[in-house]
Amino acid sequence: MNNLKKQVLIFQLNGEPMGILADPAESLLTILREKLGLYGTKAGCGKGECGACTVLLDDRAVNSCLVPAGKVQGRKVETIENLSQGGKVHPIQEEFVEKGAVQCGFCSPGMVMSAHALLKENPQPNPEQVRVAISGNLCRCSGYKQIEEAILSAAEKM
Amino acid sequence: MSYLIASNLDEVISSLRDGSGKARVVAGATDLYLQDLPYGLVDLSALPETTVIEEKDGFVKLGAAVTHTAAASSPLVLSRARALAEGCETIGSLQIRNIGTIGGNVVNAAPAADAAVALIGLGAEAVIIDIEGNRRQESVENLYWAYNRSVVDSTREVMLSLQFKPCLGGEGSAFTRFAARRALALPMVNASARVKLENGLVKEARLVAAPVNPAPTRLLKTEELIIGRSINEETISMVEKAAAEEVEVRDSLLRCSARYRLHLVGVLVSRALKTAADRALDPGKAGE
Repeated sequence: MNNLKKQVLIFQLNGEPMGILADPAESLLTILREKLGLYGTKAGCGKGECGACTVLLDDRAVNSCLVPAGKVQGRKVETIENLSQGGKVHPIQEEFVEKGAVQCGFCSPGMVMSAHALLKENPQPNPEQVRVAISGNLCRCSGYKQIEEAILSAAEKM
Repeated sequence: MSYLIASNLDEVISSLRDGSGKARVVAGATDLYLQDLPYGLVDLSALPETTVIEEKDGFVKLGAAVTHTAAASSPLVLSRARALAEGCETIGSLQIRNIGTIGGNVVNAAPAADAAVALIGLGAEAVIIDIEGNRRQESVENLYWAYNRSVVDSTREVMLSLQFKPCLGGEGSAFTRFAARRALALPMVNASARVKLENGLVKEARLVAAPVNPAPTRLLKTEELIIGRSINEETISMVEKAAAEEVEVRDSLLRCSARYRLHLVGVLVSRALKTAADRALDPGKAGE
C-alpha cells in the first residue's frame, strides 16, 4: 500500500476544475465542508441514513458521507451551491419556499439535490417517482407532502 | 485506514499482496468504509471490466462493481433476469444504490442481502481470482461462510464478476420482499424464484428465502414438490405451506416475530413463484 496518504484529487466541482491535496480515505463530505468551505451540504447522521449530505456524483445522487474522496478522481461533483445562478435561486428552491416545504431547513439541501438529480434524469416525474427519488432523505418537520408538491411543481415550471 | 483507487487488476492484486492481510478489496465501499477498520481499502470499481453488463457465451455477465442502480435499470437484466433488477431496486436508498455494488452485496454476506437472494435464485456463479493468480468459479449459494462472513477472503481474493444463464423461452424469475418501510429498511423476509415450464408444467425450479439462516436458503423440498405440476391455485397454496414448514426461524427484535416470519416466508416464496411462472408463460411480461 502507498504510505504517502495524501494525493492530488482532480475533479470537476460545480462546473469548474478542482485540484486538492487530500487523503483519499476522507469522506467527500469532509472535503466539501472542511477543506473547501462548502457548508451548504449538511452533515447529518454520517452513515448514509438521512440524506442531508446528498450531492451529485456524475449526475447521480449519493450520500457524500459514504463516498471516500478518492472516488471522485476524474469525475463530476455538484453541490447545492451550484444551484442558484446569477443571484437567482433555482426553480426547485423557489418551489420549496412557495409550497412551504422548508421548516427547520436542515434536510433541504439534500432534498433539493435529490430532486435536482431526479429532474435531470426525468424532467416530468410522476408522484411515485418523486417519492422514490427522495426516499433516502429524512425530513422530521415539514413533512413529505409539501416536498413532493414542490418538486412536482418545479418540474412543471422548468 | 488508507484508500487506494486501483486502475487495473495487477494493481489490486499487488496491493493485496503488499498489504499481507491488512488490505481489503472494496467496490462501492458503502458497508466497509464506515467501519473505519485498521485496513487499507483497495477500490476496484474504476476497473472498466468490473462495471460491464453483457450477454456472452450463453451467460448474463455482470462485473462485480456494477451498481444496484445499473443492474436495476439494465434492459438486459430486466428482460433476462427480472429477479435481480427487483432485488437491486429495493436495496437501501437511491443514494446507496448509486454507489453500492452487487459484488459487494454478495461478499458483505448479510443474511438477507437482496441482490444475493436474487442471484442465488437465478443460480449465479461468481468468478474469483486470488493473489496467486488462481481463478475459480463458485456458486453464490456456497459463498456464505457464517453470519455476515463470506467465503471470499477479501484480503487475498477478488470477486471479478457474477454470471448466470439468462431466463429465455419458458423461463421466468422474480424477487419479493417485505419490510417495515419501502426504503432504508431491512427486509423481514425476502425471497426469489426461478422457474422453467414445459407444456405448462414445472420442469426446473429454484426457490430461495432469507433470512432463515446465516445464508439465503434454497427450499429444496418445496422445489422438488412442484416439479411436474402446473402453477395453479392449488400449487401456490401448497407452496405457501411447504415453504413455511421447510424453514426454522426465531423471534428477532430487528426483523419480526418468528410466527410472522414463517407466515411471510410462505406468502413471499409462493408469490415469487407465481410471478416467475407468469413471466415464463408470457415473456412479454418479463419486464413488468
